Amino acid sequence: MLAAVSSATLLGVEGCPIRVEVHSGNGLPGFSIVGLPDATCREARDRVRAAVLSSGFKWPRHRVTVNLAPTSMRKAGSCLDLPIALAVLGADGQLDPALLEGVALFGELGLDGSLRRVAGVLPLVGACAEAAVVVPLACAAEAALQRRARVLAAVSLRQAALALDGQERWSEVPKPPPASGRESREDLSEVRGQPLGRLAVEVAAAGGHHLLLVGPPGAGKTMLARRLPGLLPALSREEALEVSRVHSAAGLGLPPGLLVLEPPFRAPHHSASMASLIGGGTTQIRPGEISCASHGVLFLDELAEFPPSVLDALRQPLEDGSLTVCRSRASVRLPADCLLVAAMNPCPCGGDGSPGGCRCSEAARSRYALKISGPLLDRFDLRVGVDRPDVGDLLAEGAGPGETTAVVAERVASARERARARGVGCNARIPGGLLDELAPIDQTARRLLELRLRQGRLSARGMHRVRRVARTLADLSGSDAAVSEEHVLAALALRSEPFASARGAA
Amino acid sequence: MSPDPPVAVGLGLNSRRLHDEDAAVSDEAAAIALAGLPGIGPASLSHLLAGAGGPSAAWEAVRSGRSGRPGKVADGTPSWQVAAARTDPQRCREAASERGIGVTWLGRPDYPLRLASDPFPPPVLFWRGDLAALSGRCVAVVGTRRCTPAGRRLAWELGADLASAGLCVVSGLALGIDGHAHLGACAAGPHGATVGVAASGVDVAYPRRHAALWERVVERGAVISETAPGGPAQRWRFPARNRIIAGSCELVVVVESHSGGGSLLTVEAALDRGVEVRAVPGPVHSSASEGTNQLLFEGAGPVRSAADVLDALGGLGAGRRPRSRPGIRQAGSAHTPAADSPAGHTPAGPEPATRVQAQDRQRAGGPTDRRSAEVLDALGWEPTSLNRVVVRSGLPVSQVIESLERLADHGSVAEERGWWQRIG
Ligand SMILES: [Zn+2]
Repeated sequence: MLAAVSSATLLGVEGCPIRVEVHSGNGLPGFSIVGLPDATCREARDRVRAAVLSSGFKWPRHRVTVNLAPTSMRKAGSCLDLPIALAVLGADGQLDPALLEGVALFGELGLDGSLRRVAGVLPLVGACAEAAVVVPLACAAEAALQRRARVLAAVSLRQAALALDGQERWSEVPKPPPASGRESREDLSEVRGQPLGRLAVEVAAAGGHHLLLVGPPGAGKTMLARRLPGLLPALSREEALEVSRVHSAAGLGLPPGLLVLEPPFRAPHHSASMASLIGGGTTQIRPGEISCASHGVLFLDELAEFPPSVLDALRQPLEDGSLTVCRSRASVRLPADCLLVAAMNPCPCGGDGSPGGCRCSEAARSRYALKISGPLLDRFDLRVGVDRPDVGDLLAEGAGPGETTAVVAERVASARERARARGVGCNARIPGGLLDELAPIDQTARRLLELRLRQGRLSARGMHRVRRVARTLADLSGSDAAVSEEHVLAALALRSEPFASARGAA
Repeated sequence: MSPDPPVAVGLGLNSRRLHDEDAAVSDEAAAIALAGLPGIGPASLSHLLAGAGGPSAAWEAVRSGRSGRPGKVADGTPSWQVAAARTDPQRCREAASERGIGVTWLGRPDYPLRLASDPFPPPVLFWRGDLAALSGRCVAVVGTRRCTPAGRRLAWELGADLASAGLCVVSGLALGIDGHAHLGACAAGPHGATVGVAASGVDVAYPRRHAALWERVVERGAVISETAPGGPAQRWRFPARNRIIAGSCELVVVVESHSGGGSLLTVEAALDRGVEVRAVPGPVHSSASEGTNQLLFEGAGPVRSAADVLDALGGLGAGRRPRSRPGIRQAGSAHTPAADSPAGHTPAGPEPATRVQAQDRQRAGGPTDRRSAEVLDALGWEPTSLNRVVVRSGLPVSQVIESLERLADHGSVAEERGWWQRIG
């Protein structure tokens, strides 16, 4: 006999519909799975057989063949356990195959027949056209976020089979706790003695400008970076769903409300592998940290310690806001729409990098500077020096707590609103050719930039970046007029050349 | 041994003929060939020349094996005799004169007088340019490669003012203070000169990005070295080079030096020779002034401007006092000194009497509003991060930036890698 059910598999962060077809026929008893299963998927054979037996069903005394269609695509993961088991029962006549129509099924089986949660249930459910989905109770609430299909939850194979037949009830889908407002994260007001760093994170948040913080150990670079997500606007429902889907597919834990509502903050260590940072993997294509940081912040501390190959691979995704991972049979698009914040020491000696104050040799400085390629350095619209707060300065009069995250976030939100009103997502993405139209500058500002170009202190590319940052500064000051000299000067100062002398002009 | 020595290799075919000929090797040719022997230094070269009584005779002694040094099996260094057999002194001489390189040695009339009386003079001296520059009154201006914008600017000013006063400015052609002292001297009027003492051969620019500077120094004076043409800048050559700087001057001025810095070796060499050492005072927290401040503490005379140097030299005509110049923007000096050579310098101009007046004038013309004054106060004379200027002044970031840029345009402050400093 023949039975077929619907399910889906995960490709990157997208779900792909799968038909699971089971044939039970004459021949020596046996059990095989065809249709490009990966290793985990092939192990389904053993799990399904044990689960069927321990759930009180019989294993067919026939030759059982499972086909996963379309056969051209690699099937990954253990979420096909449940559909295979039920289709086997259907093909063997222990369950009416007609009951399996109109539902999609997902779930990993334990040897005792229990149903376990699967990663990426959100995109999996999203990929199915069926009116109802059967999922493990453990991830039923997550599946319900999709608001697309009726969610039927079960804790075991037996419950699923009997509930389909109407002999038993489905488990009740738990309601996720209501999303509390913005989490109380570390507040910007705690950052003291860093007016330049504070301005830099504010500008980065308002214009979506990638930010490089250069400063000695202990200067508070991480402290600043961690406060950046709190300045970004809260995620819209679509963004929240996309981020949650990516996190779900990457196997990251979701927040109690199951929907990621806050801009994520991801801070991978420099020893992390290329696959875990950029995405990919040998059998299953998984989103990397850069995708998990979408609509949020990717923080790379000790930038110079990251392997050059990884830094190289970061460049394109950062510019495009997405990346494509190619495997022999599939090419997967992953989101990479994140704000990059990187931190590094000014030089290897651990000093503050001031001219004449550093103990490194010229050669050591050059070697260190060359770890960050010119093209990558160029990607940072903002390059700001951060120094250890001076005790004397902190005690000085007027050094009270600074503005709070809430106050700055409000300014960021209205600046972003101004950018949106001009028809650009954020200022960092204004194409060079449209700068004159979308971010015009006044005469004095133009003369200043032309002077810098002539002096060789600014490149043509650099000028575009400075103009975008200047536009953001103008937006933050509440101005819709043409960018003025004041904003261009500040933008230039926020894009210093941290390694100028070490790179040299030779 | 140099990677590309000017020796005639591959002449094995007519080596016999070569031997017949070089019985008549000239002293010049022999001097060049001797200096190019593998691993030879000033001490052994002096010994060779003194023992034989002249370059030609010394060469003959080496070639015949009467004097010499065995080769080293470990690194394949040939013995002097073997090396000499492979070398055609005449060819060396031709190669040198093709590159405009002159040679002299101790005892010749054109050998610089001051160096000739040195306790440890370079036995053979190579030069490009005009060796006579060293026969005038010479002052060394030296310092660290890792200097601050203020130090760099002062080095340039000292170079320019001392050269304008008719002195020869001697330095070591290095990055930082040395290079800017040379550049300043090159920018001065026609009176003065500058001499660069190299650790490598006079035709091997080191550091490479100073190649253009070398050519300017050759035009305005000379580049000299005791290393044979083509010879690399080996480590041990630098302290040896410093003794030549000290030995060719009446006075050594250290502009900036870290504690234990290489310019303190020049100081040692100068003190050994009874040459006066003076130092430029710097901020007590500036690492680049640790060495110089220590010198001052130990009793060296302070130098605030070229006028102090001229006083120390016993005074030169008042008409030759250094002039002032308008503020010179040196911000963003990310380039080689050659690239950022201050263009604002005009050799001809009015000549106010002292630097103090010059500074007053500069201030009077500079931004005098209250905000600029606050920013300058917050800045101080050490390299200060933009962030700290903002913290100390309590002004908004954009106002501080605007003030700093205006002050920089006027030459009162300079920026490097995001660090700001007052320079005038
Ligand atoms: Zn250092």
